[in-house]
Amino acid sequence: MSSAADIAAAREGRGDVRAAIARLSIYVRRNARYYGIWSVITLAYVACFVALPKMIGSAIDAIEREPSEAVVERALWIAAVSLLFGVLRYFSRELVFNAGREVEYEIRNDLFVHLQRLPQSFFFGWRTGDIMSRCVNDLNSVRLMLGPGLLSIVQTPVMLVGVLVAMALIDWQLMLLVLAPYFLFIFIARAFGRAMFRTNIAVQEGLADLSNQLQETISGISVVKAYAMERVSASRFAEANHELFRRHMRLVKVNGAMPAITGLLPALGMGMVLLVGGSKIMDGALTKGQFLTFAVYIWNLTFPTFIMGWVFSLVQRGGAAMQRIDEVLATEPSIADRHDRVEVEALRGEIEFRNLRFVYPGAEREPALRDVDLHVPAGSSLGVVGPVGSGKSTLASVIPRLYEVEDGRVLIDGIDVNRIPLEILRASIAMVPQDSFLFSMSLAENVAFGLPEPDPTRIAQAVERAQLAKDLSELPHGLATMVGERGVMLSGGQRQRAALARALALEPSILILDDTLSSVDAATEEAIQRELDEVFAGRTVVVISHRISSVRHCDRIVVMEDGAITEQGTHKELLLHGGFYARLARQQALEEELEGAVA
Amino acid sequence: MSADLHDPFQDEEELGKAYDSRLLGRLWPYVRPYAGQVTVTLLLVFPLTAFELAPGWIIAAGLDRVFSGASAGDAVFLGSWLDAPQGFPPLLWLALLYMGAVVGLAAMQFLNLYVMAWTGQHAMRDLRRDVFDHMQSLHLGFFDTYPVGRLVTRATNDVENLNEMFASGLVTLITDVIKMAIIAAVLFVIHPKLALYTFLVIPPLVLCAVVFRLKVREAFRATRILIARINTMIQETITGMKVVQLFTREKRNFDAFDAMNADHRNAWQRSIRWEAALFAVVEIVQNLTFAIILGVGAGVASVGTMYRFFDYLRRFFMPLRDLSAKYSVMQSSMASAERIFQLLDTEPAVLDQVDEPAPGDPARKGEVEFDGVWFAYRDEDWILQDVSFRVAPGEKVALVGHTGAGKTSIIKLLTRLYEPQRGAIRVDGVDLRDLPQHEARRRVAMVLQDVFLFSGSVGENIGLGRDDLSAADLEVAARSVEAHRFIERLPAQYATELRERGTNLSAGQRQLLSFARAVAHGAHILVLDEATSSIDTETEAAIQRGIHALMEGKTAIAIAHRLSTIQDVDRIYVLHKGQIVEQGRHQELLEARGVYHRLYQLQYRQQEARAAASGEMEKRPEAGSR
Repeated sequence: MSSAADIAAAREGRGDVRAAIARLSIYVRRNARYYGIWSVITLAYVACFVALPKMIGSAIDAIEREPSEAVVERALWIAAVSLLFGVLRYFSRELVFNAGREVEYEIRNDLFVHLQRLPQSFFFGWRTGDIMSRCVNDLNSVRLMLGPGLLSIVQTPVMLVGVLVAMALIDWQLMLLVLAPYFLFIFIARAFGRAMFRTNIAVQEGLADLSNQLQETISGISVVKAYAMERVSASRFAEANHELFRRHMRLVKVNGAMPAITGLLPALGMGMVLLVGGSKIMDGALTKGQFLTFAVYIWNLTFPTFIMGWVFSLVQRGGAAMQRIDEVLATEPSIADRHDRVEVEALRGEIEFRNLRFVYPGAEREPALRDVDLHVPAGSSLGVVGPVGSGKSTLASVIPRLYEVEDGRVLIDGIDVNRIPLEILRASIAMVPQDSFLFSMSLAENVAFGLPEPDPTRIAQAVERAQLAKDLSELPHGLATMVGERGVMLSGGQRQRAALARALALEPSILILDDTLSSVDAATEEAIQRELDEVFAGRTVVVISHRISSVRHCDRIVVMEDGAITEQGTHKELLLHGGFYARLARQQALEEELEGAVA
Repeated sequence: MSADLHDPFQDEEELGKAYDSRLLGRLWPYVRPYAGQVTVTLLLVFPLTAFELAPGWIIAAGLDRVFSGASAGDAVFLGSWLDAPQGFPPLLWLALLYMGAVVGLAAMQFLNLYVMAWTGQHAMRDLRRDVFDHMQSLHLGFFDTYPVGRLVTRATNDVENLNEMFASGLVTLITDVIKMAIIAAVLFVIHPKLALYTFLVIPPLVLCAVVFRLKVREAFRATRILIARINTMIQETITGMKVVQLFTREKRNFDAFDAMNADHRNAWQRSIRWEAALFAVVEIVQNLTFAIILGVGAGVASVGTMYRFFDYLRRFFMPLRDLSAKYSVMQSSMASAERIFQLLDTEPAVLDQVDEPAPGDPARKGEVEFDGVWFAYRDEDWILQDVSFRVAPGEKVALVGHTGAGKTSIIKLLTRLYEPQRGAIRVDGVDLRDLPQHEARRRVAMVLQDVFLFSGSVGENIGLGRDDLSAADLEVAARSVEAHRFIERLPAQYATELRERGTNLSAGQRQLLSFARAVAHGAHILVLDEATSSIDTETEAAIQRGIHALMEGKTAIAIAHRLSTIQDVDRIYVLHKGQIVEQGRHQELLEARGVYHRLYQLQYRQQEARAAASGEMEKRPEAGSR
């Protein structure tokens, strides 16, 4: 927990605003055509915005002078400008919002592509939730900044200037009177924005508290029930619930005051206009039409000005969000094809580790592998056993370059693994990882996951070989069954065999099984074993397991402890050696015997 | 059961209908206690509208009368209070009235929003409470199938969504309609001809609004579904990145992703277009009404009347604009309500059949009896098959067996966390089904292998909410199991706050704490699930002494993982594949050379191996037991 927080804090520190702005401007420039047209339209829109109230005012004055045909003509002109105004409004919204969505689309695509290129060590250091929040929440903040944010931050000041000039041309004293409360208004809107932010955070925290308590109760539900604590935990929940309620009510007060204030301040300006403008009309210094023009200006400015406070916070949040997105995009993929790559067509499958040492990224970690020297001839099989955390999986993961290793430490067919084109390397190796992760698609699609084209015969063959065929009839739609999130629709054993089938379908030259068959029963495992012996004669197989039965037939077996190889040899040799392997074998023999005991 | 099983695959982003009378009917009980407040909100719309109309009226009076020098006298309707008192400047009077009206409006708006939110927050608080209470009443099996995160979402996000409906949904919708009707009526009273002409634009406007809204909704629905898929794909790709990279799926994954992402963008752009069109149309129509008022009103209506038309129409159009937002709020609220009620509809599988515990035979107090018990977590997948045994009051017995033999299930049945499919379990001579759950659990204390500590103080974790236990009681309990010694050394002794799940205590200390719990709660039957985690020798000794103190004078059933600790119990039952296959004392069983003998040998080997190997062998997860 704390180390993750430290990483987050460190990242927060080196977030570079300029880098984020530079990256964002790439996307904005790419959509320059949208923004170019939009700025022209904005100017025309503001012109209409300023002109309409003036036209209405002068029409009123005309009516006051003499109600005649000329007024109908003026009314038609107003209708025409209204139409234009509406059309411009349409385009000003459409263009800038669409551009925002376009940028969102591009950033999302770039994030996805980038994530797929990052090495496992990246995902080791970042929690999924962290990455997700950048792809979802932060991206949304950036989009809001570029959409509604940009719209008002550009449009409102232009409007304000236009209206103020128009007002000053009518009566500059009255303009200043109107302006005064507006300054106050901007100020208050800003303060409100802050108060809203604070109370909002308080509500979010209250919600988080409530969630934590719920989570705790649910996780400890067996204790809750065993000690009949329901009433106590209900009252604890009620407390948190009430606290959340109180915080909500505080937010309600702020939120409720907002529209009230929105109406109040511009109305203050209008009150001034009524008092001062009224006496000016009585003195003949102002016309009724001009008075009305002022009134309409004040109405129309209220909303755009008020949301400025909100817009500022949008821009602030958007900027911070872009920085967080930039952190992901700025991470260089350390595992990529290099310029000194060796062009090979295919790999035979000879594996060699030379004095390999590997430390997982992160401070003060023990090396996961130390001084591993091992040669696996092409077409032979290697078994790896050892306690949890001894480095077995790490050893397997460096073969397909899931983690970065130093040059010259891992070689396949005598070529440094770092210099083999990634596509060739990974096409030649099929690995069945420990967690047998399946995607939420159909079983057939999962099995065909690595194939360029789904090939029914290859799928069927792989399913057969992984001993999954007999399960198909139990599944609701056979191969077309949707396996659900992470494959939850399948049993543990079925999942593992599906993951195996996925690897077998590739027909690779190197097959790596990372403790793949732990949930598969002994008889099925034996059947799989037989299949593998037959199909994989002549291919390299690396089997990592806790079970002696999974590795005993391997050409060579190594025992790993604390990241180093401590024993190696054939099954027989190791039994005679009397070390870890021999003890493990004895223990498992006993367990088997026990399993066999009949009641 | 089936209701919660299909839920995990349900699309969380799915939108509901905007209006669902069945769901609203179910929400009604939560609103009913606050019906008074709801009525107030609805009634407030009348003064609110009055205050909205007043400023325009005052300014109109200025335009038509005061500005021209004539002192207002013959107001169109509603008395002559616009007249300034004797000797007061009419203009200043008007300005004061105006400010008063504006402040009144602000106050009304605030009051209206506040009362509405107050009601919503109260209703939501009650709903959250019910969701929580209901969750707690569900049987354990439910929690195996329903992910924790999703349960938390029900009580938090879903309830918040529903609250939106109170804050800006249904009630606002009703008050908006009332407000618009009043404004329209007032306009007709002021100047029927002008009103008639201006309202000519309403039918085409409504038509446009309806059509555009439908288009927006369609596009919006598409965006919701697509964004859910996009985020699922990102999440899945991140979690399965190893597989993606190993199988070089990057290119094809991206193609699929790009297609969805582009669809999402296009759907949004469609929605933006219609939304912008709607905004534009409302804007155009509003400005057109200005032209109509001027064209038609010239010569027949005063400037003041025209001003009132401008002002009131502006207020008339305002609710039309955010009608769209309200619609989508209603949709997602309804979807959330649906999910919440689905959870509330899940029946608790373990139900109390009686309110009062059956009296039972005092002579059999402390007796535990399993009588032909069959049990399966699912279908016919029997974990226990015809298990029968009897433990006399005060006896100490042990259950042993290999992983998955069914030991843990026996504990869960004994504490009525689950119910057996066949057979009966009797405690103190009473069938467990004749005891309310809380009573059953007071009689049988469980000392679990996985010691769960709640965030709270050490004392609270021993008392677990029993108010009748004093600090002294807690200490006595802790002393009796030798937990007092380590608690004393904690920074704030019994008041020391435990971090999440007690991470600041060692495994051994947590064990001792759980013993203290059991002692404090004073049950006369103990079920001990022995810790499997390795504990240092010193603590180990303390735990052994603690267990002995704990079992003093009580019936005890121990689930033993290490046979060395149970050699002196009265009887050992050997479970194998859900059946009792052997029973007797340690020595007898060893001599019988059966399953027990083999178990013993296996453990001996394991210990030997553990001692020899530097690392610890992984223990397989207990497959059958949970």
